[in-house]
Amino acid sequence: MKRTISNRYPILAALIGSLLPALALAHVGQGELSGGFTAGFTHPLLGLDHVVAMIAVGLWGAQLGAPAIWILPVTFPLVMAFGGLLGGLGVELPGVEIGIAASAVVLGVMVALALRPPLWVAGALVGLFAVFHGYAHGAELPESADPLAYALGFVVATGGLHLVGIAIGLIRRWPWGVPSLQAGGAIIAGCGLYFLLPHLAGT
Amino acid sequence: MTVDAGLRALAAGAVLGLAFGADTACAHVASAQAGAFYAGMLHPLTALEHVLPMLALGLLAGQRGLNEGQGVLLAFVVALAASAGLAAPGAAPAWIGWIPPLNVGSLVVIGGLVAAAWRLPTALLYALALLFGATHGYANGAALPADLSPPIFALGLVAAALLMAGYGLVVADALSRLKPNWPRVAVRVAGSWVAAVGILVLGMGGKVVGAP
Repeated sequence: MKRTISNRYPILAALIGSLLPALALAHVGQGELSGGFTAGFTHPLLGLDHVVAMIAVGLWGAQLGAPAIWILPVTFPLVMAFGGLLGGLGVELPGVEIGIAASAVVLGVMVALALRPPLWVAGALVGLFAVFHGYAHGAELPESADPLAYALGFVVATGGLHLVGIAIGLIRRWPWGVPSLQAGGAIIAGCGLYFLLPHLAGT
Repeated sequence: MTVDAGLRALAAGAVLGLAFGADTACAHVASAQAGAFYAGMLHPLTALEHVLPMLALGLLAGQRGLNEGQGVLLAFVVALAASAGLAAPGAAPAWIGWIPPLNVGSLVVIGGLVAAAWRLPTALLYALALLFGATHGYANGAALPADLSPPIFALGLVAAALLMAGYGLVVADALSRLKPNWPRVAVRVAGSWVAAVGILVLGMGGKVVGAP
């Protein structure tokens, strides 16, 4: 039984790997498709406030361990897309920029102090921030790009940031990793504060 | 053991098929008149609106295992071909405006079900496969150029759909057999991404999709 399982990895790798050239080739003659995907993919990566918050989500998920680490990457994109839906439809949501900057502060503090609230509290908190992040992006969507390609790039980039956070968070398996992770959370909270202060002073 | 051998044969077939499919994607640029079969294959393969739900349908079917999932794919392609055949000859009816939002909705529904890893009643699963097979088939059939044969075009559609949904089926089934938890979660994450894309596009609907 063990042998058959290990035999499957090459097949899986071949299957998944063979999807990649297809995606690349699909760009041929599809300028709108690749343009839309690139625009969507880079959009969340170019906003540093968004990047640090998404990595903090992953770090916290890794710190909380199962089941949070599994629930988070499945539910976050859906809640964020719901926020994007609100933004795209033009529903008023005040304090979005403050909410985004505050999310980095709050999530960074959670990681820095290694706080472990009940799962539903953590979920509600992350979900609230997910709506803010999605809303901001939904309201900023360009009108020219292929909407599906844009949305796909956007979702993949955000999911990738979570995975990066989760992957970094795995350092807590080593003794020195636990304080390092907390220090990372403190840095993220500092970044969030840096983004938050101008918003509070300006508006 | 037989399932294992079948899995390998399917995997090899899918890899070969995709290599072939990717080649035709290049040919699309060189000559648009590559024939009804390739036109039928390329039309869904070059639109994410069709690629993503078909992959996700395969994942949804594959979450139940290879044996149970095959029938769902079969139901999907039967509806796909029949609906494409219906759409091909006539002028566009008034309700054709409902087809694109339904297709985007299929991303949300199918992706959401994969994310939830929720075991739907089998009849409902088949009903969904038939419904979305019909909507995707209609969208593709309505795009058929007048000088191409509708049955051959529909055959190309079916080939492309089986390729993509077959991929999803085989990958989800293989991942669900692995011992650790994360491969199953990875399938659910993929479903969640597909559904999120659908929700975001619905949010953009007023701005982009509805535009002429």
